[in-house]
Amino acid sequence: MTNRLKLLVGGVQLRDGVGTVVDVVGRILTRAGLYVLANERNYASTIYGAHQFDPLVISATPPLSHGDNLVDILMALEFDANPDVPRQPNRDTILRHGPHLRDGGVLLYDSSTGEVPVDDLVARGVKVFPLPARQIALRELRREVVKNMVVTGALFRLLEFDMDQAYLRQLLEERFLRKGRELVDLNLEAARRGREVIEQVLAAQGWRDVGYRLEPVPTNGERRLLVSGSEALGMGAIQAGCRFYAGYPITPASPLLAFMERWLPRYQGRSLQGQNERESIRAALGASLAGVRAMVASSGPGISLKVEEFGLAGAGEIPLVVVNAQRAGPSTGMPTKTEQADLRMMIGAGHGDFPRIVLAPSTLEECYTMIQEAFYLADKYQCPVFVLTDLTLAEVRKTVPEAFFLEHRMPPHREGVLTEAELRRDGYRRYAITESGISPRIFPGTRGGIFKVSGTEHDEFGFVTTEPPKRAAMMDKRMRKLETYLQEDARGPQVVGTPRGNPVLVGWGSTKPVLLEARERLRADGLDVAVVHLTHLWPFPTHLVRPVLADAAAIIVCEQNWSGQLADLLQERCLLPTRRILKYNGRVFYVSDIIRGVREILRNGATEFRVSEFVPVTVEAHEGD
Amino acid sequence: MSTKPAARTPISKVWEENAVPRHRIQWCPGCGDYAVLNAVKMALTRLELMPHEVLLIGGIGCSGQIRNYLNGNALHGTHGGPLAYAVGVTMANPELRVIALAGDGDTFAIGVENFVHACRRDPNVALIVMDNGVYGLTTGQRSPTGGLGQPQEEFSEESPPAFNPLRLALAAGATFVAQSFSGDPRHSADVYVEAIEHPGFAFVNDFSPCVTYNKFNTYDWFKQHVELVPPDHDPADLQAAFRLLDDFEARGRLPLGVIYRRPRRKKPQQRLPMWDHELADVDLEPMLRTFR
Repeated sequence: MTNRLKLLVGGVQLRDGVGTVVDVVGRILTRAGLYVLANERNYASTIYGAHQFDPLVISATPPLSHGDNLVDILMALEFDANPDVPRQPNRDTILRHGPHLRDGGVLLYDSSTGEVPVDDLVARGVKVFPLPARQIALRELRREVVKNMVVTGALFRLLEFDMDQAYLRQLLEERFLRKGRELVDLNLEAARRGREVIEQVLAAQGWRDVGYRLEPVPTNGERRLLVSGSEALGMGAIQAGCRFYAGYPITPASPLLAFMERWLPRYQGRSLQGQNERESIRAALGASLAGVRAMVASSGPGISLKVEEFGLAGAGEIPLVVVNAQRAGPSTGMPTKTEQADLRMMIGAGHGDFPRIVLAPSTLEECYTMIQEAFYLADKYQCPVFVLTDLTLAEVRKTVPEAFFLEHRMPPHREGVLTEAELRRDGYRRYAITESGISPRIFPGTRGGIFKVSGTEHDEFGFVTTEPPKRAAMMDKRMRKLETYLQEDARGPQVVGTPRGNPVLVGWGSTKPVLLEARERLRADGLDVAVVHLTHLWPFPTHLVRPVLADAAAIIVCEQNWSGQLADLLQERCLLPTRRILKYNGRVFYVSDIIRGVREILRNGATEFRVSEFVPVTVEAHEGD
Repeated sequence: MSTKPAARTPISKVWEENAVPRHRIQWCPGCGDYAVLNAVKMALTRLELMPHEVLLIGGIGCSGQIRNYLNGNALHGTHGGPLAYAVGVTMANPELRVIALAGDGDTFAIGVENFVHACRRDPNVALIVMDNGVYGLTTGQRSPTGGLGQPQEEFSEESPPAFNPLRLALAAGATFVAQSFSGDPRHSADVYVEAIEHPGFAFVNDFSPCVTYNKFNTYDWFKQHVELVPPDHDPADLQAAFRLLDDFEARGRLPLGVIYRRPRRKKPQQRLPMWDHELADVDLEPMLRTFR
């Protein structure tokens, strides 16, 4: 098979270089014109020692999704096997993922401390390549770190890719040449030794090839990038004019903090690592009040701590973009595992009623475009705008044409800010009652204008009031923003296929690619289903959603939480009955999960299908918090 | 609220325009915060600051209301938050004069995290705490500074002895620490002027008696216990500051005046871009290059 496969790299976290190997391989394949999609990165919240794995889909055309958990090539980077201890944790990759290795697939593992019995895999036609990578690195090359290159060289030989080491050489030169030519040569030598071992195994076994090949694809000059979701979000924010970011370290929002700390100073902006979640959001509100486009990001537990300030942003009408990179809850939940269970929280968090907008990008590309939209909306409606992503979306790395980022730029246009001349003419009331619900803003320091911003109920000038008519008028004014938004800026769901008369898969957030691929497979099987994906979740655009779904044969909401939060919301808003496919074990949806769920629901009329594959625990690995 | 200062209004009145007449003061008669209000006005007038150049950040509680009785830009946020907002404001626009006006509960109980880290961060903010030992607006519950001057044996786990904000500020690295008393607003105004002019975080603890709920720390009680910092005290000396606090404490006295002040060691910062034209040309190239 050429130019399409799924590769899983596994090893001991922080020791075996899973991240490095995936990064090098992903980058080189992207440069070679192939598409890489790494959507299932799995790491633990212990620092050292736990099992880490990173599956990559590699394809000549953009893959629709990460597909199933079936793997074509398994790379086990752990090197220490102890035959006396069958449950030796450092064989995790083979033990955990061996069952998902495709019959006739490939296993490449580090055999530095001896070969591992893999008779069950051999019986299924798996081609096994023991490679003493650590031993080669340590004994022959005297540098243990180059074992990553031994493995990479071996992988490229298996795939008959980059046989002249041109791609590898270029990447190594970019990275290491300033540290000296010797380092580049050492790494190339490591890769060459990896290839040699594979040659020997092939020859000894009499195999001509392994059944998988990759070939560079000409891109006709199109430049492609390998970008992560957090990076797309950060780049979009800077493009949107965000010049103040405040964060507090939390998985999986920390990569965004790192990105902003690196890049904001180069765009005359500032990034703050707050002393806690509350200081972060408060500082961002302060910066926003001072006139700067500001953003905070966190994950569920951190968002819980920030909730108090949401009300201030709503009542005080201070624009703010808040990213919630969801992880499995409740409480500290599973910090490094994915879930979509904060929707209810984002549409409801905070006491009292106040206007807010909730957006949920569904792909890496939408992370980039929707964060720009979020800043525009926050400025226009002067309220908090929540952008809901999740661990999958934050960690996804994907090959994207560079042109995409250049073509989808929204100029950072700021509406409704009064100038000194306008102030002189009209005077100023911070919370002027308007038909749209939006009052003009000024930035502090503007001559001739004074504002009083308050989270306490206030009159048009911002002075405290509890007088019933003023209170009612101010509430109405604020909440009118939502009407204006629904008329002017709300967007309906993305629809693929014909919902009318067919079963419809409804989703939000990072599950979209999986739903689209499930639709393709079901159609190939003769079942026409449509996909309806919601990105603008609050205020709920009932007028745009209900007509799409009203005539569906069955509405099957697929989401990664226990209760079916979007399904409930749909029922409540559209008054339509929903079925649900739910998964909440911390792993992403696989296409096969959706297909099983759809079949189950359509066959016996089940109202819900819970994906709970029971996998016997072969290894007891403990993770911290 | 159209603000046309300077032209017709004498500067002493600028700070009252659009504020007090429009807004009924909700403090009890005799509240110490009136004197703070007057002293702040005096200080701002003496510094010849205009309302649009200033951002007042109010705390939660009686004291925080002061933001509405002064004609400056104002923010009234959540409980304990003033200093954290202030950090963001000064990072975004260092040209604004930011004055945080809060109570002891707001600053030393729920807001103590922000207080400690503001001392370390040293934002260009003057913090004036109206310290009365109680939560006045919620009818007189004890605050962290409650119990000031009372004998130690009266305290239990549920109501520990008074908290000393000056020592905490010094220990946390504040660059300006002072104390004043509502019974002497002229002296307060002098201290405020120094605090507002101090480049960096300036903390003034102002004893502002609650006449309704704190029947122990009354004006008379304070008058008997306060004492000006001696003229030979060197505020630049941190050890001398701690010694001064020890000395006053040993004598059962409360110091008034500037206790510690040191120059700020910080690079000056620029206002962050905020207008359309400042944000117009975002060059993505340096970022894109790293992903190739």
